[in-house]
Amino acid sequence: MAQGSIDPSGRRFKLPSLLDVRVLGVLAQLAFVVGFILVTVWFINNILSNLDALGESQFICIDGSSKPRCSFDFLSSDAQFELAETPIEYDPADSYWRALGAAALNTLKVIVSGIILATILGTFVGIARLSKNWLVANIAKWYVDILRNTPLVLQLIIIYFSVLLALPQIEEAIKIPGIPIFISQRGVNFINATFLPSAGVWLAFLVLGLIQAQVLWWILGRVEEQTGRSQNRFLWPIISFLAIAILGWVFSSNDTNQSILLGRQLQVEEISDFETLMLQRYDVNTLGEIDMLVANEVMTQDAVDELALSLCVLRDAPSEVNFTAQLRQRGIPYTVRRLSSQSRATSSFADGDCEVYVAPTAVLAGERDILENPNSFLLLPVQEAPVRWSIPRIEGFNFVGGGKMTTEFTAVLIGLVLNTGATIAEIVRAGIQSVSKGQSEAARALGLSEGQRLRLVVLPQALRVIIPPQTSQYLNLAKNSTLALAVAYPDFWNIANTTINQSGRSIQIMLIVLAFYLSISLIVSLMLNAYNRRIQLVER
Amino acid sequence: MTATNTKSMGEDVIVCHDVHKWYGDFEALKGVSMRVRSGEVIVILGPSGSGKSTFIRTLNRLEEHQEGSISVDGIELTHDIRNIAEIRREVGMVFQQFNLFPHLTVLENITLAPIHVRKWSRERAEEVGMKWLTRVGIPEQAEKYPGQLSGGQQQRVAIARTLTMEPKILLFDEPTSALDPEMIKEVLDVMRDLASSGYTILAVTHEMGFAREVADRVIFMDAGQIVEENVPSNFFTNPKEERTQRFLQQILNH
Repeated sequence: MAQGSIDPSGRRFKLPSLLDVRVLGVLAQLAFVVGFILVTVWFINNILSNLDALGESQFICIDGSSKPRCSFDFLSSDAQFELAETPIEYDPADSYWRALGAAALNTLKVIVSGIILATILGTFVGIARLSKNWLVANIAKWYVDILRNTPLVLQLIIIYFSVLLALPQIEEAIKIPGIPIFISQRGVNFINATFLPSAGVWLAFLVLGLIQAQVLWWILGRVEEQTGRSQNRFLWPIISFLAIAILGWVFSSNDTNQSILLGRQLQVEEISDFETLMLQRYDVNTLGEIDMLVANEVMTQDAVDELALSLCVLRDAPSEVNFTAQLRQRGIPYTVRRLSSQSRATSSFADGDCEVYVAPTAVLAGERDILENPNSFLLLPVQEAPVRWSIPRIEGFNFVGGGKMTTEFTAVLIGLVLNTGATIAEIVRAGIQSVSKGQSEAARALGLSEGQRLRLVVLPQALRVIIPPQTSQYLNLAKNSTLALAVAYPDFWNIANTTINQSGRSIQIMLIVLAFYLSISLIVSLMLNAYNRRIQLVER
Repeated sequence: MTATNTKSMGEDVIVCHDVHKWYGDFEALKGVSMRVRSGEVIVILGPSGSGKSTFIRTLNRLEEHQEGSISVDGIELTHDIRNIAEIRREVGMVFQQFNLFPHLTVLENITLAPIHVRKWSRERAEEVGMKWLTRVGIPEQAEKYPGQLSGGQQQRVAIARTLTMEPKILLFDEPTSALDPEMIKEVLDVMRDLASSGYTILAVTHEMGFAREVADRVIFMDAGQIVEENVPSNFFTNPKEERTQRFLQQILNH
């Protein structure tokens, strides 16, 4: 196979195979494959012998026997440790699976919000670094230099211990005038929207409105094509969409199909009056104190339930969901008695088994007339806006209502965003500078404003240069989120460590950790690579 | 060809008085004064570094002048952002390096400014854009990207992009200097066509043939100053200034 060559004297001679580049290429590849296989085999052997050394306890099945395929069965047993914060409901009596799942959601929460915020921050700072304004450019430069040149762990610890934990106590929380946000040692409590059951109806209206707007937009386009007269293709669809949205809001708020019936002696004219009623009954200043009564052993749980608002619900009455949602939101304790037939529900209410009768309006209106002395009963429609703001308020030693970001989460988020934002700023700056000056000149000469020039001409071209290094920064952020351990935020890595300590199954957990972070990284880079392909320039 | 004589010249659309421009310590423009009447075609000649490109770039504020006054179409060019925006709407510019936007198709390049600056509907912008693309002879390239066109085609797209904004004044900054010789003609043909249709044109170019044929006036600049202004016939055959004579000798005898 060796190639023949012709030496200066004209004689053919045989090329030694070890000097043939093709042979050398094949040999190099072979050497690599052999090396790779050896290393892999060594790793697997190492794992197996370590598992052996750890003994049979690693493979215990639910039935008590011991088989290698039961390596992961321990994950179904009780975790028995607390999680400081979880996006899903979790209890120490839940399995390791659920603990790890909750921790994974914590990690995803940090990664997703971190990537979004770091991108926004980095883009602004990157543009600011190119500003002609001396102050703006220099602030941006110092921010980037300081954040890029110090370790992230250090930044996290400073943010957590020196900044966030130095914030005022909960009673003296920092309030921003006019905006319901409270910043304290315990984290950030802020206003958020609560969706009541009737929000489903309203959302259906919104979807309908969107479809309608789209169809109208299309129809106006056709009319424009046929008549040649220009139509306002944005105004009318938007107006009709808003009209449908408002109609839906009113409709879902005034769902008079749902009502409650109650005795007038309760002196309840509207739903908020239940609060006053309960405050009197329990003899407390705030409804939050009711829980404290049990905790401080002033009352037993049974005694509390005894005083709670008792409801008779005709089974399947949709008003139950709506009404109880409102009670829960106000913190009013209640007990529910569900009855399967109209007559039984009515007689139960008439006998005084419960104070409030929950059923469709039509049923209640009819049943009231059957009752003795109908005028002593009040029929109250259950009305509620589908979405309402929930404002945090201090009750006892904690905030109630609203949304919350814990101090730990805030520290990790701020740290990751500031740190990654600095690098992204440099990437954005490099991207913008890679677009030739002529592009900006052409944009200006055509009369585009500075904002339009950046948005329509410079940034779309800069993106080609920005996306590949940006991908690595997103991956860095995802992996750096494991430093949450430094401020005790219960992220996946943190809880995986706890699980290892408690169960002794380090190899299994490490495999899960590996799979988790690897899949996050793969998903991020797959998405960005797809985007990158889409924005590449078309060349000849 | 000699539409020059039949063309009716209007009022002054560009008035420059004693324009100075420094780059640090270097004075690029040393007191340039000139008037351009509506419909006039002016060719600016001069050796490289003479300030001719800098001068026409001050007219739409791609370069800022530090002293003197410039008014375009009755609008004084000051630091007022509204004045700058208004002047840029009336003044179109064609560059040596074309400066097409590589991420947009030819038609998107052309319709970008009309849609976002003039607030035209997309339909109208595309209609006017296609009209100009047809006028410069390449309507079939509308859906391609700039990177897929030849240099001459790209420059013609750039001209169509400028014209779709319906400017009154056209500035050409060495429009043929980056082109292969066989493509220069296709661009010059388009420019001749425009010159005879009443646009006010200021062109910096080394195309002597174009200057001789089309220009109403030739301006010769050197070292940041206007050395000589003349009608082309006199300029080329009977230059007044000694510096002009030397320049003409150099370029005509090469």
